[in-house]
Amino acid sequence: MTGGSAVRHRRSQGRSVSGGLAVRHRRVEGRSVLRWVTRVGCLVAAAGLWQVLTATDAHLWLRFDRLPGPGEVAARFATQLTTRLYYLDLLQSLIRILTGFALAAVAGITVGVLIARSRSAGDVLLPLLEAVRPIPAIALVPIAILLFPTDEQGIVFITFTAAFFPVMVSTRHAVRALPTLWEDAVRTLGGSRRHVLWNVVLPGTLPGVFGGLSVGMGVAWICVISAEMISGEFGVGYRTWHAYTIVDYPGVIVGMVTIGALGWLTSSVVELVGRRVTRWLPRGEGSGA
Amino acid sequence: MTLTGQRVEAGRTGLSFRLDGAGFGYGNTTVLRDVALDVAPGEVMVVVGASGSGKSTLLRALAGLLAAREGRVLAGEEPVTGPGAERAMVFQDDGLLPWRTVRRNVELPLAIRKVSRRERALAATEWIERVGLTEAAERLPRELSGGMRQRVQLARALVGAPRAVLMDEPFGALDAQTRADMQRLLLDVLRDTSATVVFVTHDVDEALLLADRVAVLGRTGVKTVLETRGGPREALRERILKEL
Ligand SMILES: Nc1ncnc2c1ncn2[C@@H]1O[C@H](COP(=O)(O)OP(=O)(O)OP(=O)(O)O)[C@@H](O)[C@H]1O
Ligand SMILES: [Mg+2]
Repeated sequence: MTGGSAVRHRRSQGRSVSGGLAVRHRRVEGRSVLRWVTRVGCLVAAAGLWQVLTATDAHLWLRFDRLPGPGEVAARFATQLTTRLYYLDLLQSLIRILTGFALAAVAGITVGVLIARSRSAGDVLLPLLEAVRPIPAIALVPIAILLFPTDEQGIVFITFTAAFFPVMVSTRHAVRALPTLWEDAVRTLGGSRRHVLWNVVLPGTLPGVFGGLSVGMGVAWICVISAEMISGEFGVGYRTWHAYTIVDYPGVIVGMVTIGALGWLTSSVVELVGRRVTRWLPRGEGSGA
Repeated sequence: MTLTGQRVEAGRTGLSFRLDGAGFGYGNTTVLRDVALDVAPGEVMVVVGASGSGKSTLLRALAGLLAAREGRVLAGEEPVTGPGAERAMVFQDDGLLPWRTVRRNVELPLAIRKVSRRERALAATEWIERVGLTEAAERLPRELSGGMRQRVQLARALVGAPRAVLMDEPFGALDAQTRADMQRLLLDVLRDTSATVVFVTHDVDEALLLADRVAVLGRTGVKTVLETRGGPREALRERILKEL
């Protein structure tokens, strides 16, 4: 490999080729292997520590005697993966969060743009939004139970509210921070307000909007899980809490790991889509590795 | 010229401008007062002036991006009330939409005008070739040099066959060699259009090279309008420098 693949790699990026660069490229490859070893090693070490602490029933200031060990959890996980219920819960939580999040994304972007671009819309909407914003979404659970005919809708509502504000606020700031030059350019090419909206405001604010979407996805998970723990009949959050009430501690940890994995997965998707649609941003080469 | 170009350009002449006792400013500051300036259809009027003298302000007023506080600003017979496609603008830097490729930036004015996809592509291809960027057509602005970006802006401004092109120090940020190339390209491209050009610069040599006439911007208002056609260059140069 070496020379050949390095050269091909760089050609695909449209760079010129020189010997010095090929050597550097190989060195960078070596360094990235080392970094992966570090990353994986760190995880393994943490699991090892967990194993030691639980196997010896360590009783430091924290007490590890009732905490299930990694082996126990892994076995439990394996059996969970064979049950239909596990996947039903998973699906249920995903449907809830994706519905709430999608509604929040659309509403948050729309309202954020509206408030930033139109003074009258700001006058109408801002006082209301600023009054509701300080209330943590999870504190709306009682209201949600009163308002919505089904628990399902209530949970989606909570998730929506949680994700809405970060998206709306960052959209608003992104629109405000937009350089006027691009707008001027489109207007002097004959563009109307609508053209400016589609060709400048929406694409130009995407980097900021995706910042808001990332944060929104994070809080949406917090809220969907909490809401499920309080009022669900299905869902990963409900199942985790239920496991705790029946003293099934390995089940609790399986639930936690599942929530973590789902959260990581959805955040990665948001991140990935965000990077794709903001490829035009000036980025240093090799950043984001 | 493509079919589009011919159809759009047929029967079109350059736009004239007239400023009459016009004043401009921002907030509490007045930048220009009592400006009187006539720009004839099809001519290249270069406006020179020191930094901060209000050159960009004047150009933004002609573009319709800034309203006059007093007096009149006419484009042709009509008062300028806002920007429009017949008055295209080329900005000093970063006027391209960074999320659009070269090709999609050049197509933008045609897309706004709802020109069909096919005709848009044809016209864009032709203009991209004219400014020498065929190889870079699918690149994003951040992958271009400063000179290449200005070529794209030039193509984007002219692809819609505007009646006037307003250029705000378009080559100000370029090195001497690139600047000379761009000046040559501009003269070359302008030969085939009937568009009026108002070109802002603080470089007297650039003004003398490009202009039919030069307007010198003093602290407030246009001081003098000097003809550059005929006459010894050196004498003109001296006179402009004295007016500045
Ligand atoms: N948006 C603005 N708000 C307030 N003042 C402004 C604004 N734009 C320009 N000015 C002021 O107006 C004056 C003229 O600015 P203008 O940009 O027209 O000058 P210029 O001749 O184009 O200068 P340069 O050669 O540096 O580009 C300056 O004193 C500047 O401070
Ligand atoms: Mg200026």
